[in-house]
This record gives sequence, structure tokens and C-alpha cells, in this order.
Amino acid sequence: MRGKGCKGIALALILVLMSGMLTGCRFGFASDPDDPNEEVKEEPIDTSVDTFEYDSSLSGTNITLLNSKAEIQVALGKMGEEFEKKSGVHVEVMPVTDGDSPYTKVVSLYNSGNPPTMSILDTTDVIALAEEKAADLSEEAWIAEAENYLTEVNGKVYSLPLCIEGRGIIYNKAVIEETLGETFDPESITTLDEFTEFLEKLKKAGMEKPVSMAKEDWSLGAHHLQFVYETYDGTSEGAQKVIEQIKSGKMDLHSYNRMQEFLDMFDVLKEYNVAKGDPLGADYDEMAIDLADGKTAFWFNGNWAWPNLSEAGADNEDAYGFLPYFLNDDPDDFANQKIQGSPSKQVMVDGQFASEQEQAAAKEFLNWIVFSEIGQQMMVKTCNLIPPFQNNPYEPGDPLSRDIYEKVHADKAFNASAIVPNDHWAVLGAAMQKYLADRSDKEELIDSVQGYWDEQE
Amino acid sequence: MEQRQICSEKIEEDKNHMRSKNNGKDFCIFALPGLFCFIAVVIVPFVYGVYLTMTDWNGVSAVKNFVGLKNFAGVMKDTQFWTSLLLTFKYVIFVVVIVNVMAFGIAYLLTRGMKGQNFFRAGFFTPNLIGGIVLGYIWQFVFSRAFVSIGESTGWSLFEVSWLSDPTKAFAALVLVSVWQLSGYMILIYVAGFMGLSEDVMEAASIDGASGWTKMRSIVMPLMMSSVTICLFLTLSRAFMVYDVNLSLTAGAPYGTTEMAAMHVYEKAFTSRQFGVGQAEALILFVIVACISGLQVYLTKKKEVEA
Repeated sequence: MRGKGCKGIALALILVLMSGMLTGCRFGFASDPDDPNEEVKEEPIDTSVDTFEYDSSLSGTNITLLNSKAEIQVALGKMGEEFEKKSGVHVEVMPVTDGDSPYTKVVSLYNSGNPPTMSILDTTDVIALAEEKAADLSEEAWIAEAENYLTEVNGKVYSLPLCIEGRGIIYNKAVIEETLGETFDPESITTLDEFTEFLEKLKKAGMEKPVSMAKEDWSLGAHHLQFVYETYDGTSEGAQKVIEQIKSGKMDLHSYNRMQEFLDMFDVLKEYNVAKGDPLGADYDEMAIDLADGKTAFWFNGNWAWPNLSEAGADNEDAYGFLPYFLNDDPDDFANQKIQGSPSKQVMVDGQFASEQEQAAAKEFLNWIVFSEIGQQMMVKTCNLIPPFQNNPYEPGDPLSRDIYEKVHADKAFNASAIVPNDHWAVLGAAMQKYLADRSDKEELIDSVQGYWDEQE
Repeated sequence: MEQRQICSEKIEEDKNHMRSKNNGKDFCIFALPGLFCFIAVVIVPFVYGVYLTMTDWNGVSAVKNFVGLKNFAGVMKDTQFWTSLLLTFKYVIFVVVIVNVMAFGIAYLLTRGMKGQNFFRAGFFTPNLIGGIVLGYIWQFVFSRAFVSIGESTGWSLFEVSWLSDPTKAFAALVLVSVWQLSGYMILIYVAGFMGLSEDVMEAASIDGASGWTKMRSIVMPLMMSSVTICLFLTLSRAFMVYDVNLSLTAGAPYGTTEMAAMHVYEKAFTSRQFGVGQAEALILFVIVACISGLQVYLTKKKEVEA
């Protein structure tokens, strides 16, 4: 009797599992991201030439580096090893675990009296911590190489800009050409009208909804919305100025033309969104797959999306690139010509707990990544970063970073990043989600943005 | 006579003395380590937390300025906190009622000697073994991919779009997942309660002519009250303090409509970097939860009987 019951249960279990497997493939991946036959190509680093002068008195020092950029965790570890081989300084790279915010992590380490010697943080976090905790780096040699990319707090530099990151409308050239049957020149689109026409053309050619846009609050609240401030005049100072004006009530967002223009562009993206039926149900991983597989032609994102695209099957040789975030129909407006690209992650050196020796070792490490042949190569090839340093001759390998790199060098990128309060993306991201889902209108959205700034002290 | 009295008094005194001496030693051996830990990790942080509500500390700076009750005024102005608190109340009511009714019912069925009941007991308990974060991500996949996929192939409008993109359905999803997770544990407690019911009493009740609903209401329920006390307390406090499932399943989405009180407190302190206000909100939440669960324990304890 008992045996029979068990058998029945086992049978039922098998049935459930099998049906799970059958339905499983329906929401599986179109291109297998975990293909074991796929070789991970890594560019070799030439370590034969090294003219960097190491300070031998620092050998044997132990320093720590808190890394908040998860995708370069392994690469940073390799850099640390290489640096230790040459200089004798041991660099331990600590990750910020998923779900922890970098700021929370670094603050808790400070409060426990055991902070990292160096921390990779977002610009806002560095500004919040700089004067209280960080070592003054204004006298460092690399300052001269990173002109225009430095963040100053009351006239002093407390952090090294680690990389440039840019954002815009990512396109997949091959897919566009295949759909339209003609060559695609990204330069041919210069205004919002032309962009809309182009989307309409794709629609007529069979691609119903050519755009992907993430529903995540960091994408909507930070990456979309901050164009309102950053396109004021395309500089960080301008962004700061407009924020001050909004905060003090001198500027009415309802009549600020960039706000209206931003919403015009956002509406176009919204209209052609592949997930228009359920924009808040859109899945981030699926967007990368859709773009790589040709279900969509555009994805609003930044060069950090490359690992996702690469996992979805895109190759380094494929033609991907950025279109600007078109704001109006004036082809001479810089916002329609340039994409946004500015330093995003900063390295801060602890000046409160770290000993002189440790600080010197940390500074040597920073100089090493800027000036040594090995450090320069590893920044670009191993970490896949776009260094903001003029003396670094290496070009990034993936198409998105390469496009930004080229645009930065051809003056087709504007360097503006708005410094906003830390909860800006979360609070206004929610307001943007509401607008994206058509549950609020333009007036309500602008009111929430204005309301947010009114509450700031 | 007097001598004897003095003598016995002395003995009494000695006994008392010894007992208190022994008690002191016993106390040191058994309770002090625990007490120390309790004070170090519960009382001290709690008192420090109360102190923080009266400062303008931002989590980093070396100086903390005393600002009195200004942070509590900040709490009053934080409308989002009161919205999330209201939502938490709604959530608690749904979760506590559904979990306990379901767990009670299932436990009742699973103690009647049905076939494979041990298998089912283990099965219902399993969700409790999965951590809240992981559970949230698994269900996120189910709601936004599996359900949508079912909706696509069957055309049912209920599953057409992801549940997590609609405020009401996302809330329902939260309740559903919490019930799914919490029930197993409560079933376990209720099962233990049912197993502890004395057969004699049941039989006596049957002989007296009680059956079905009467037996349940007059005999089973009063005897089960101690289990009910524990289960209600556990579900109440857990539901009020929900954070992990909230974070990994919806993270407040869509547009902040499913942000519960605990999550709002965390966001206030760490994302908005207003430690004082966040801490004051946490304190208010603590007082509310303490009052409600204290009241509940008091009320249900009064109903407990001994067989």
C-alpha cells in the first residue's frame, strides 16, 4: 500500500518536472549565454617594457581596494597581482557584494575603524566623503593627464577618475541594414524628427517596435531624467547651475525648454517601446538578447551594457554604436550632435586611518595605472575601461566603448554629469516609472520633479 | 524554648544566606554570559539608536549635533512613510489572517492520519528553508516570465502582463509569496499542537455527544490556543518587519507603490542619507509592532486553557 503511494508521488513529481522542462524552453534564452564551447578571448598584455620607477621602500606594504564596479572585479585582481610582482606592494581587492550599496559599505567600514586604503566610488559618494575622510591628491602627477575630467571639492582634488562612461541610444547596425535592405549611416540622423521618421521606416519594414527601454529606476531616474540638467549647456558646471536655479525656485521647470524637449524624446521612445503593452514588466536581460538577436534595433543604455550584449551573443567585431539623445529639431543643437560621456567612477584614497606608508603605496598604484606601460594596457585590455588620461595610447576592444572613445576624441561627446542627491534616482525613478506606464501625465511628472527639489535643503 | 526559636531562626537565616550565595554563583555562571551578549547586541544598540534619533548624523561625519525632536517633525512631514505604514498594515492583516487560517486548516488535515501526511508536512515546510532574497528572485521570474508565458499561450487576461507591473497585483504577489513562505512554519507549530491534543478529552467529548463544529469550537480551539498565541505572534512580527521578500520581489515597484515600512526606513537612512529621520521612523515602527504584538499575546494568553 505504502509502496504504491510512494510510486504515485514519484510519478507525479516526474510529470511536474517534465512539464517544467517543456515549458522551460519557451522563456529560455534565444542564444545560449553559457555556451561551454565559447572561448573567452583575452587580449595578451605585453609586460616586456616597463619604464615605471618603483619606490623600493614601499615593498611589503599591504593595501586594500574596495571595488564597486562588479564587472571588473576579476580584472582588478589581476592588476593587483601584476603590480605586486613589480613593486612588492600587495593590493587586496574587496568587492561590494550584490545588494549592498557602495556608499553603505564604505561608511560601515569607516565606522568600524577599518576602511579600505582605496575605494572606487561614484562621484556623488566621493563628494560626500572627500573632506572628512579622503587624502588630498591635488599634487599628484596624473592630474595633468586628466584635464577636464577631475572632480574638485572646494578647489582640491580628492579622487582619480577611473573611467569615462557614456550613454545614448545604442544601435545594432547589422539588424537595421538587414531590416531596411540599405546601408545605415548613424550620422544621417540629426534631429528628433528624423529619428522618429527613421523609427517609422523600420516599422513599415516589419519591425513593429524597434526600441528597448529599461524600466529600472536607475535607468529612468538617473540616465534618462538627468539629461534635463546635463543638456543645459553640456557642462557639469551648467548642470550644477540649473539645479541650483530649480532648487531656489528661480527656474520654473514647466517653462524650462529642456524639460519639455526631454519629454518629447521620451514620448517617442515610449511610443516605439517593444514592451509598450507592459512597459514596467520589461526584463533587462531580455533587452540585450532582443537587440543582439534583431528583435529590436535600439536600446537606451550606456557602454556598461556590453557584458550583457556580449552574453547575449554579440561579438567584438559587430557594429554597435550610439546615437545622441535627440531633444529637438535643430540640427545645430549640441544635444543632437553629441552623446553624453563623463567620468563615472572615482578612486579615493583614505586619509584618516591609512598610515603614511600605505597612502604612499596607494598613490604609487594610482600613478602606476596612469603612467606604466603595463598599467595602461591593463586598464584598457584587462578591465575594458575607457581611461580619461590623455597619455594612454590604447583603444578599447568592445564596440560600445570604442564608439565612445572615438566620439570623445572627435569632440562628439559632451562631458557633463549632474551631481544630484543620492536618492534622486530612486525617488524620481518612481515618478518616471509612473509616467512610463501612462499612470501620470506630463504635468504630474514635472510637479514631482519640482517637488523633489523643493524638499531639498 | 526561646533558645530553640533562636536556633531555628539562625538555621533559616543560614539557609537563606546559602541560597542567595548559590543563586549569585548560579546566576553568574548561567545568566551572565547571555545577559552580557543581550546587553551588548540588543540593549546598547537600541539605546544608541534612540540617541541617534535626536542628532543630525549623516552616517559618516565625526560630529553629531543634537537637534532634539526635529527628526520626529521630519517623520511627520514624510508622507511616503505614512503611506508605506498604511500599506504595511494592509499587508499584515492579509498575511496574518491567510497564513493562520490556511496553516490551521492544513495542519488539521495533516494530523488525521491521511496517506502520505509526512511527505506533505515536509513539502509544505520546504519554502521556509529557502532564504527570503532567493525566494523573491525565484518568484520574480515566475510572475514576470512564467505567468506571462502562460498568459500568452492561453489568452487569460489575468496573466497577460506581469503581475509586478500593476500596483494591486504586485501587492497581491507579495502577499501570495509571503503566505507561501510562512505557512510551512506555522503548519509545523499547529501540527505539534494537534498532536498534543489528548485523545481522552476528544473521546470524552464524543461520548458527551459533541461532534463536528461544536467539538472544534468548544474543545479543540481552547486547547489549541497556546499554538495560536505563538503563531499569531510570529506572523505578526514577521509580517510587520518584512524586508527581504519586499526587496527582492518588487523593490517597491511599480513606482514605489509596494514599499513597506521597513524598506522605507532603510531607504530613508541609507539612500536619502537621513540617518536621524530614518532612525526615528524605525523607532516609531518598533513601538507600533511592540504594542500590537504585546496586546495580541495578552489577549490570546487569556484564552488559553489547560486540559
